[in-house]
Amino acid sequence: MAKVDEYKMFQGCVIGNRIPFLEASARKVFDKLGIKTSEAPFGCCPDPVGFNSTDHLSWLTMAARNLTIAEEEDKNIISVCNGCFQTLKLANEELKHNDHKREKINKILKKINREFKGNIDVKHFVEVLYDIGEERIKEHVTTDLSNLKVACHTGCHYSRPSSIIQTDDPMKPLKLRYLVNAAGATPVDYSDEIICCGAGVEHAEEGPAMQILANKFKSASEAGAEAIIVNCPACFQQFDTNVRKVESFSGKKYSIPVLYITELLALAFGFNPVDLGVKFHRVRLKGLIEKYKLNQD
Amino acid sequence: MISDFEFKKKMMDINIKDTLKYCYQCNRCTDECPVSKIEPQRYNPRKNILASFLGLKSQLFDVEDKFGIWGCTVCDTCDEVCPQKIELTEIFYVLKNMSIKKGEGPSYYTTQASSIYDFGKAIPSQPAIVRRREQLGLPKIEPTNVEEVQKILNETKLNKILNK
Repeated sequence: MAKVDEYKMFQGCVIGNRIPFLEASARKVFDKLGIKTSEAPFGCCPDPVGFNSTDHLSWLTMAARNLTIAEEEDKNIISVCNGCFQTLKLANEELKHNDHKREKINKILKKINREFKGNIDVKHFVEVLYDIGEERIKEHVTTDLSNLKVACHTGCHYSRPSSIIQTDDPMKPLKLRYLVNAAGATPVDYSDEIICCGAGVEHAEEGPAMQILANKFKSASEAGAEAIIVNCPACFQQFDTNVRKVESFSGKKYSIPVLYITELLALAFGFNPVDLGVKFHRVRLKGLIEKYKLNQD
Repeated sequence: MISDFEFKKKMMDINIKDTLKYCYQCNRCTDECPVSKIEPQRYNPRKNILASFLGLKSQLFDVEDKFGIWGCTVCDTCDEVCPQKIELTEIFYVLKNMSIKKGEGPSYYTTQASSIYDFGKAIPSQPAIVRRREQLGLPKIEPTNVEEVQKILNETKLNKILNK
């Protein structure tokens, strides 16, 4: 099995090429906690919602190619995106255990002199942070966030399908809440917690996606959440970018800031919001920063 | 309704684990589906499973509203709640792949696939974001070998689906 002293970083297209400030917070937190990563010339994961719906065989082949790139260095992959994580983990497990599919894919990969061997693992960054444990995380917390109430949203592809993914309880995920507690903030219970963000249906039709999202905002704000905490860039964009659409769709105001769990941890660790690029959030964090005195050096 | 045996055979294929036949139409999938809650008349995973099992291809495809297939938000909740452990989402992927081949999928999907084929990424690198990465102190993203990507995607015949 692969060495675990360093992971290959898989930031994916959305974080890498659209909202890289999420990666900035992840790297700062990883550095503090001693999680080492290095780069690799990966292609698109590819997207489990879009590309697998377009052509399953192409999806599996592209994913297998990425896995062979990490295999060459005998290193596990750490993904900071639910979509990339689900694709790579599903493909990795499928190809490790299904001889028929592995043969078929390896026949294709042979054309580019590659072979899937099945000697690495794929990890979601929330699993890795959870395994580090509360004690080691708390050592770095310098900002008191104990009055900050947040709604946790893990997103679907972090934990489902659980028979293969095996990261967390698929219908009552615990690890994101655990990390929120470790950061010193307080997770609230809200009725729509495990419901999808709606991104998967948005490109088929916007209306149902906006209704799903409106319901989530409603239930999170009724539970008193001051922020929504996520661990997936697709969910992040859904909450942060589409809030205006939801407001005009539902006729209600929901300006709840959205934070990546690594942003929350980085703020708890005392990193300056400016260095985290929080100005790139659509829903401003100004209120939170002032209330919890997050910009004091 | 006429059963299409080729379609039924495809849906019962061993590679999607042959689990379809265990469905007893309990409706847990539809009960928990976030899209069915909002569009109960237009999206129903239980009915899609039944039509797939019975080979009722026309019921799925020869309809005006493609939301019956594309309404799935790929949240995998149905897979979790199914008492028979049917991997519904896998089955719905097969339906969506067929819909794309018929040219009936939403344009977003083929546009995204086209970007993956052309650049190796769903979202290609852009100068403004490259600069932003630098400002944030992030390392450069190593470029993808697009030639390799296109070679394998020609083998899987994605180029034919995308008319490339």
